[in-house]
Amino acid sequence: MTARSPYPTRPPILSVKVEDTMDIMIARDTARRAATLLGFTSARRAQLASATAALAELVLKTGDLHEIRLNGVIDGVKIGLQISVVTPWLTGVSANNVLVALRSKIGELVDDILFLGDEDPTIFLLMWLHDVHYDENEV
Amino acid sequence: MALEVLLIEDSKTQAAQIKETLESVGLQVRVAYDGPEGLREATENPPVLIVLDVKLPSMDGFQVCRRLKRNPVTQHIPVIMLTEKAGPQATISGLRAGADDYIPKDIFASEHLINTLQELGILE
Repeated sequence: MTARSPYPTRPPILSVKVEDTMDIMIARDTARRAATLLGFTSARRAQLASATAALAELVLKTGDLHEIRLNGVIDGVKIGLQISVVTPWLTGVSANNVLVALRSKIGELVDDILFLGDEDPTIFLLMWLHDVHYDENEV
Repeated sequence: MALEVLLIEDSKTQAAQIKETLESVGLQVRVAYDGPEGLREATENPPVLIVLDVKLPSMDGFQVCRRLKRNPVTQHIPVIMLTEKAGPQATISGLRAGADDYIPKDIFASEHLINTLQELGILE
């Protein structure tokens, strides 16, 4: 269950179940692995890992099981990493308020934050690879 | 001759653990136990890499990193910050101070440290 990704996906496709504090560490590690697979620099891997851990901490506070998905995305010739989580507890909450809260906490760590979906509201964090261009013939 | 890493870490226990990790991949490790000692060591005998703890007595790791990156003798040396505080603000502070990576001291720290050394070209 997830809102439709705003961008076409590409490998890697990873996911982490978040249900206790140990999973925050695993989420952080998984983000680093995904970022490494896509070729992010060490500094940007650190940013993505920290943003994913912050997202895991946030959903853990609800007390419900969540699944954080990490996958590559393509936007034209750009490649990026998308981190998403379905947040049913945010149904009916103003998207603007959600985005303001997320941006204040993790806005400096990622390039874009989106909050989409009426039935399955989903938070998307995106970081784009600079100077790497997607060529479909290479896949 | 083994490549030399400077580890700046005030906890002797943690310094020993990190030293063991770095030595296990063939690196030689010098340890400085506070910021001023680390800055002196880095300037007098520049290493190929500096692994820097955030929480240090007298001068924290962010200050040490900023000074390393301002000094022409040391500004080219990659700095990996190791920390128990890995929240969003701490990560941003570390990277803004000029760190090349910011790694939390968790069960994956050794693996991440070695991956970063490979990416920086210090290990094959």
